[in-house]
Amino acid sequence: MNRLYKNGMIILGVLFLGYHSVYFEKLSERDNAVDTSFDFQAFADSLYYNGITKSEHAVELSHLIKEVQNNTEQTFEDHGNRLGIGTSAFFMTQCEGPITEIEEDHLLIQVDSSLEVAINTRYIFGNALRDASQLVALTDFKTNADFNKVSESLNALIRQKVLPPIVENLAVGDVVDVMGAIKLSRKNLRDPSLIITPATINMR
Amino acid sequence: MKSWAVFFIFLIWMGCSSSGSDADEPKNVAVVISTLNNPWFVVLAEAAAENAEALGYEAKIFDSQNNPATESDNFENLIASGFDAILFNPTDADGSIVNILKAKEAGVPVFCMDREVNADDAATSQILSDNYSGCVEIGIEFIKTVGTSGKYVELLGLVGDNNTWARSGGFHSVVDEFPGLEMVAQQSADFDRNRAMEVMETILQAQPDIDAVFCGNDAMAMGAFQALQGAGKSEAVKVFGFDGADDVIEKIEEGKIVATGMQYPKVMAETAAQYAHEYFNGRRTFPQRVPVEVEVVNASNVSDF
Repeated sequence: MNRLYKNGMIILGVLFLGYHSVYFEKLSERDNAVDTSFDFQAFADSLYYNGITKSEHAVELSHLIKEVQNNTEQTFEDHGNRLGIGTSAFFMTQCEGPITEIEEDHLLIQVDSSLEVAINTRYIFGNALRDASQLVALTDFKTNADFNKVSESLNALIRQKVLPPIVENLAVGDVVDVMGAIKLSRKNLRDPSLIITPATINMR
Repeated sequence: MKSWAVFFIFLIWMGCSSSGSDADEPKNVAVVISTLNNPWFVVLAEAAAENAEALGYEAKIFDSQNNPATESDNFENLIASGFDAILFNPTDADGSIVNILKAKEAGVPVFCMDREVNADDAATSQILSDNYSGCVEIGIEFIKTVGTSGKYVELLGLVGDNNTWARSGGFHSVVDEFPGLEMVAQQSADFDRNRAMEVMETILQAQPDIDAVFCGNDAMAMGAFQALQGAGKSEAVKVFGFDGADDVIEKIEEGKIVATGMQYPKVMAETAAQYAHEYFNGRRTFPQRVPVEVEVVNASNVSDF
């Protein structure tokens, strides 16, 4: 009996030590070492409500297209933002016009007789708005992971809180004004793909 | 007395002549690369060395064989050998910092290429692909192609590499917003084609009904594609990669792989070599991180690449 008890204790001891000597972690949980003490949501709220919505540096879309085609480098320098090296840049732009089409992931707006633009209402992801705003610098954050976290919080705010109450009530024919980010590439300026990632959409 | 004076002047002249020839000698630039087993890194290494040589320096490539200990040995050797600058592709975001600091202490500037280290005061500058933004766009392409419901697999690169998590993070920042998409397996295949094929074969045994695979680089995308082909599922399962490797571009043209993110290793190498050149000429202030744009390649624009 004593021997049985002793062996049982040894087995329990081995199991206890074995269980506590290794631990398992999901790879997906082993994310970049983001500084969890920083409140990215509060930062994004402030960036949006105190920065982006109050900023006056958005360029009227038809003017921007004309300028970027006629005076490319100066327009990229004056209004665009490209972090690092690349052929494209993000611009903050605004436009106004009637809605001609409403799809699951975008609206179409007729800005003038020759200019139609898509407003992205579903894929609000990436760094378009952060970079077009020119309000956050790469050097403000210690790692790229933290810097990208700003975009994730900003995008979540716009995707989940700002857009749904507006977009749900829109109909073809409504006149709206939109302010948001557009990506323009030097590779394709004659016939650019015009998709705005919106920061605000307002009914006129 | 006169002959002693002549001899003394001769010695001084020899000394001046000798130090003059040192100054004329080209500076030495070390190119330390995580691994030369992957063709993408071979391009990065050769481009860095070629650019340094084109700027008038002598360049030597060191292979760290994806092993931080080998990388550490490389650094000790090249610091002792008197290299003047290091164009560096690290093996580990945390583990490589100590090597950079050793070089910094020895007065040797280090310019990181492609892989970020978790310190903003170690390297002189870090020239990095914008992996996150590239994979956000891949994620959007994924939703548009696969749809908002289905099962998928993710093959990760090296667990200790920041690029692995930047790519995964960008991709998940999109797909995780669509709860109908279920990730049934997420495993590391170390950025390696053969390993990816083995991992994918094993996953397919447990999860035969998947709709898509997202791979953290193109070598793994090719390995996953091979495994799917072997299982007769390459038509049904959509594969996404990252890098812009030639064989994946061909597969996109053939409609066998959906998309990849085009990186520009030659641009990173050229910028790193140029920064070293500017450092030698007296520049001391560099941006700590320089992101290089990544472009998504899919069926609609593959002819441009």
